[in-house]
This record gives sequence, C-alpha cells and structure tokens, in this order.
Amino acid sequence: MVGAFDYAPAIVLLPFLSFCLAVGVALSGRDLLPKGGALPGIAATAGSLLLSAWVFLTVSGGETYNETIYTWAAGAEATGSLSQPLELTFGLLLDPLSAMMLLIVSLVALLVHVFSLGYMNDEGETGLPRYYAGLGLFTASMLGFVVADNLLMAFMFFELVGLCSYLLIGFWFRQSGPPSAAKKAFLVTRFGDYFFLIGVVAVFATFGTAAFAGEESFPHLAEQAIQGEATVNTFLGLEPTAWFTVVGLLVLGGVIGKSAQFPLHTWLPDAMEGPTPVSALIHAATMVAAGVYLVARMYGFYALSPTAMAVIALVGAFTALFAASMGLVKREIKQVLAYSTISQYGYIMLGLGAGGYVAGTFHLLTHAFFKALLFLGAGSVIIAMHHNEDMWDMGGLKDRMPVTYYTFLAGSLALAGIVPFAGFWSKDEVLYEALVHGLGTTSGLGTALLVAYGMGLIAVLFTGFYTFRMVMLTFHGEPRTETAREATEPGWNVKLPLVVLGILATTVGFVNMVPVKDLTGAEIDFLHKWLYGTEGAGWAEALGTSGYNYHHLLVADYGAGMTAAALPSYLVGLLSLALALFGAGAAYVLYGGTDPDPYTDKLGVLKDVLYNNYYQDEYQVWLAEGVVLPLSKAADVFDQAVVDGVVNGVSSVSLFGGSRIKRIQDGLVTHYAAMLTLGLTVLLVGFAIYGGWF
Amino acid sequence: MVPVEYYLVLSAAVFSIGLFGLLTRENALLFLMSVELMLNAANINFIAFSLQWGNLTGQVMSLFVMGLAAAEVAVGIGIILVLYRNFKDVDVTVPQSMRW
Repeated sequence: MVGAFDYAPAIVLLPFLSFCLAVGVALSGRDLLPKGGALPGIAATAGSLLLSAWVFLTVSGGETYNETIYTWAAGAEATGSLSQPLELTFGLLLDPLSAMMLLIVSLVALLVHVFSLGYMNDEGETGLPRYYAGLGLFTASMLGFVVADNLLMAFMFFELVGLCSYLLIGFWFRQSGPPSAAKKAFLVTRFGDYFFLIGVVAVFATFGTAAFAGEESFPHLAEQAIQGEATVNTFLGLEPTAWFTVVGLLVLGGVIGKSAQFPLHTWLPDAMEGPTPVSALIHAATMVAAGVYLVARMYGFYALSPTAMAVIALVGAFTALFAASMGLVKREIKQVLAYSTISQYGYIMLGLGAGGYVAGTFHLLTHAFFKALLFLGAGSVIIAMHHNEDMWDMGGLKDRMPVTYYTFLAGSLALAGIVPFAGFWSKDEVLYEALVHGLGTTSGLGTALLVAYGMGLIAVLFTGFYTFRMVMLTFHGEPRTETAREATEPGWNVKLPLVVLGILATTVGFVNMVPVKDLTGAEIDFLHKWLYGTEGAGWAEALGTSGYNYHHLLVADYGAGMTAAALPSYLVGLLSLALALFGAGAAYVLYGGTDPDPYTDKLGVLKDVLYNNYYQDEYQVWLAEGVVLPLSKAADVFDQAVVDGVVNGVSSVSLFGGSRIKRIQDGLVTHYAAMLTLGLTVLLVGFAIYGGWF
Repeated sequence: MVPVEYYLVLSAAVFSIGLFGLLTRENALLFLMSVELMLNAANINFIAFSLQWGNLTGQVMSLFVMGLAAAEVAVGIGIILVLYRNFKDVDVTVPQSMRW
C-alpha cells in the first residue's frame, strides 16, 4: 500500500526543486518567472506542508518510519571491538518529534514565502530569483535535517542550513553591513560545527553507527554499554560514561553555535542585516531551532550523562538571562527580537537540560510560531516605516496598522509568557521542570539546575519588560516622526501570514496545559501523550525515541540520576506569571505615556555595557587578533622553518648529489663501455671473494 | 679429446681481444667487429660445454647467439648510418651531445 511515508522524501525534494528552478532562471538572466520565483517556492512549500500534514496524521495513527534509503559508502570490515562495519547512509526517521517539526518548518516556510511577496516583491527589490533560490534551498535543507535518521546526514544538512543562512543574510551584498554579518554568521557557527564534526567522527568510531533510533542506534548502544551489555570503543582511556559525556559535549558545540547560545551567540544579532522574512524563517523559527532540535533528537544519548545535562541547562539558563539583559536597552526593533530569540533558545536548552524533554520541545513549538509572528510583524512595521528600524522614530502605529498591532500584541504576550498565550504554557513548563528536578536531585546536577532555574526566573522579568517596552515604543503613544504619522499597513500578503501566526501564537499553547491538568485533573496534556506514545509498545518500543524511554534514562542510576520533587505546577506557574506581569507592567508604566522618556539611558555605565553587548564582539575580535593570530603566526614560522626545512634539506641533498654525479654521463660511448667493464669486473671480483675462490 | 680447459682459455682470450677492441677503438665499425668477437667467445664456451656433457643444448644456444648477432649487426649498422649522416664520420668520440 502506498502511504504517506512513500511520499515523505518529496517533502524535502519539493523545495529543492523550487531552488533548482530559481537558480536556473537566475542563470538564464531573463525574467521568466512571475513574481521573481516566489510562486514555485510557495507551491513547493505548500506541497511540503500538505505532505507533512499527511505524515503527521499517519504518525498520529501510531505508525512510524525508520528506514535507510541510500547507502553511499559501506565499510568492508568492522574495526576495533565493533560488531559491524561502518555504513554511511541517507535515511528517514519519521516519529512524533520529526513529524511535529516537519509541520512547524513547512508551515513557517510557507508563510514566510507569502510574506516575502509583500516585503520583497512589492518593495521593488532586485535579484529576487536569488532570494527565492536561497529560501527554497534553506527550506529543503532544514526539512532534510529534520527527517535525518543518522547523525552524519543531520550534520550535512546542518551545514547546508548554515550555507543558506550565509547566502540570505548577505542578500544585499552591495551594502557594507550584510556581507560582513553573513561572514560572521558563517564563521561563528562554523567554529561550533567544527566540534560537531569531531563529535560525529567520535560517534562513528565509538559505536560504528550514527543512527538515531532503533536497536542498533548509538543512544541505545550507549545505554547498553554503560550497563555492560554491549561493547563499544572508548578513547583517551575513559570509562564509557565519561567518554559519552565528552562526545555529547563535542556535538553540543555545534548546537551552541547554531542555536546562538553563549558564547557563540554573537552572530545572531548581526544576522538581522538580512531581509526581515529571512530573519523570521532562519534566525527565529527554524535554523536556530536546528541546534536544539538536535539535542531533542539524540536526547537518549544526553540523558545518560548528568554532566552533559548540567552543561546544557546552565548554558541555556545563562544565555536566557544574558541575552534578555541586552534586549532591555536596544533601540532597533529587530535587535530586541534578536536578543529575545537568543534568550528563548536559552529556555529551550534549559528545559532539555533539566530533564524536560517535552517542556523543551513544547517551547520549541510555541516559540517557532510566536517568534516568526513577531519578526513578520516587525517586517510589516519596517515596510510601513520605509526601512527605518529605530523604535524611537515610531510610536502610535496602533491606529495606523491595527492588524499588525493586534497580531504583534498576541506574539508579544506569548513571548512575555502571559496567560493564556502560547509562551506562558511552554516557558512555564520549562521552569517547572528545572525547579522540580533541581529540588529533587541530590547530586551536583540538582544544584546546577537550581542555579539555572534562578537565572531563568530573572530572565522572565526581563523578558516581560523588554517585550512591552518594544510594544509600547512601537505602537503606543504619539507618532514621533513624520514617517510614523503617515504609516500605512501593507497588503494581504503581509496580513495573511500575520493573522495565521497570530491565531497559532494565541492557541498553540493549549496542546499542553499541564498546570490546568494538575488543577482540574482533565487529560489535556496532548503533547505529552504525543511524544510519549504507549509505554513498552508500538513505536515507543521499536524506536526508543519516546518520552518514556527518556524518562526511564533520566531517573536511572546509570543515566542522569534525576529525581523530581513533588510540587504543584500551577504554583510555580503563578510565580513566573507574576514576574512576567511585573516586568510587562513596569514597561507599560514607564513607556506607556504619549511621549515616553528613554529611561534605560539613565542606567549610565550599565546601559553602555548592555548596549555594547557586554563587549562580547570586542573580546572575540581580541581573541582572534590578539591570541589566535600570534599563535598561528608562530605555527607558521614553525611550519616554514622546521617542517619545510627538513623537507627542503632532504631535497637539496639529492639535488646537490645529483648535480655532481651526473657528470659521469659525458656522452662518450667508450667511457660507458669502460664503466660497464669496470662494473662487471668489480662484480666478478666481489663474487669471487664472497664465493671463496681465492 | 681436447680437454675443456683449452676451449675455455681460447674463449677467454677471444673475449678479451673483443673487449680490448671495444675499449680502445674509435671507429664504430670496429666496435661491431669487437662485439662479434665477444659473442663468438661465448659461442665457443657453449659448444665446449656441449661437448663436455654430451648434449645438444649448448649447440642450439650458439645458433641462437648467431641469430642474435646478425640482428645486432643490422641494428648497429643502422645506428652507424645515422651517425654518419649527422656527423659525416663514424668516429664514436665525435658525438658527445647526449649527456648532462
């Protein structure tokens, strides 16, 4: 029977086709496609969305898919203590997590394509085939990453995603800012990906396979190895648990780079130089999600290592707080959103690291929608403001652009975590997981989680404040410039994605209302059920990627060893809600007037530090120029003098020797004959002496 | 019957004469003649041992050597012709351009 899974590769291939089409047209140099290539892109992403929905429905029927489609390199024999030879493959893994992510990515990609009609085509941009080619390739590679069934394939698409990010951030390559921002994004994420690559090689060397799910997958082998039921190669003389921590942290390097976590977050604010729909698609909803999605994808591996979990949680919580503090003082609307993105991905990392697999995934889901909404809303504002992004030049846009205002408000409420908008439910669950596991776990991991919870809680306050500072400055009060006074709302192709995302940002949190469930006993935690499956049966048993398995690993002695304290989730929720409301209220009081003062300027030195991003860029540039450059120069000297010296020495010896010895070849036949005779005589005498004739 | 040592001495003498000619002469045609002498020294050896052991292998081999000598002369004369065309001489000390 032909089912959804047979068509699943088309989810990836359709946007790739639109990419090929757009590239072909761009190369032909003629304006063959209407709308500069937008229509094939829209058609392709719509097709992907439909197929994703079909896959989603099939998966919700309890079917999953985990097959290798193409083996592009196979090893001849097994190495070390491995039982099978290496195989490098492409394959599909369609389980509830990837089915959900497929739906998110293809939906946001479709809406961003539609929005681009308003933001790029209607604004008279040139080079549109190039733009839509980039969007198409990006969508294809992100979808490919989502369905990847092994770590190597995931890595390849991860890199493709990074490439597309480079191409799209640098779309306006004639200006000075975008190309350098594109280079920065590429280099910073590549720095993280370098560790990821080593991690991939380490996984192959350790387990002989990089599959994510099933009996022969590396998380499962790792679990067995820790229990002594399977043998794997470990290196550096480490025990399996310690070595798995090292491997997990190596892969985490790629996650930190791609998901813009501290200290590799510096590329994301600069990436706002790209077109706003690109910011929405890549730097908010999907590409940055690739990092945390990877953690969720191989959660069974991370759940084995308390150290890795603590690192994930601490990095996430610190990033959440750190980025939120910088978002407090920014002037440009997209900069505020950029820092909020970094901060929210910090929350997702915190949720995953704190043992909240569902919580982290849930925040990934809600954040994808409300952050795409906020970026597209900001895009709408930027169109109306004729590409002026300074919030101090806006104000009073509420009455001029009502659709944008109300949808943006919904996204902001979701971002700030105000009940009942999407972000409240997910952020709350993240913090709840951190708190209960922090209180319940007695080891060092518990302390780490409590510290992380504290940082996450303060960040809630900051989030509420900067979000509503942004809303107030942009939409409330009196218009502060002529442009703002005459702003008009863009057309349907901008409003439609906003409305769709606005509805989603408002409602998507209802899929997992754990506090309400705890309060009323109603079974409404659908996402939990979706990701958990049925314990010990069906796909949960076959793939080993269900929440039950992860929960089992998290509480096991040989795993992370977490214990959850008993706390009613609604009390924890009330605390963070109160903080968020306090932050939002403070922003409302300070900036809600008709002509607000720039209060954050009064912070003095602190404001300068925050506005300059804690001088992170300066310190990273110093690190590159002051440390790495001299080091590489020294290495260059060593290379030139010692390594090349040895090689050159050897060659000059043979050169010199050759130039002398060649002189016996003087071209006189008689001399050659004499040498032959001499040689023969020497041989004869030699043999004679050797043979004992004399 | 003549003992085999006599043949061997004769053969060594002929070979040495050929070698001497090869090393001292400057005329390319004399080179060919010297080589012919050396080959025939080998032939004497073959036939002497053939007689010694009473089988025909050595004689057959000497026939092969004669064929080989004929072929060698054919090639050698060709080389000498080219030499003469290029240098108007058959003196082997004149062409010295094939060197370092």
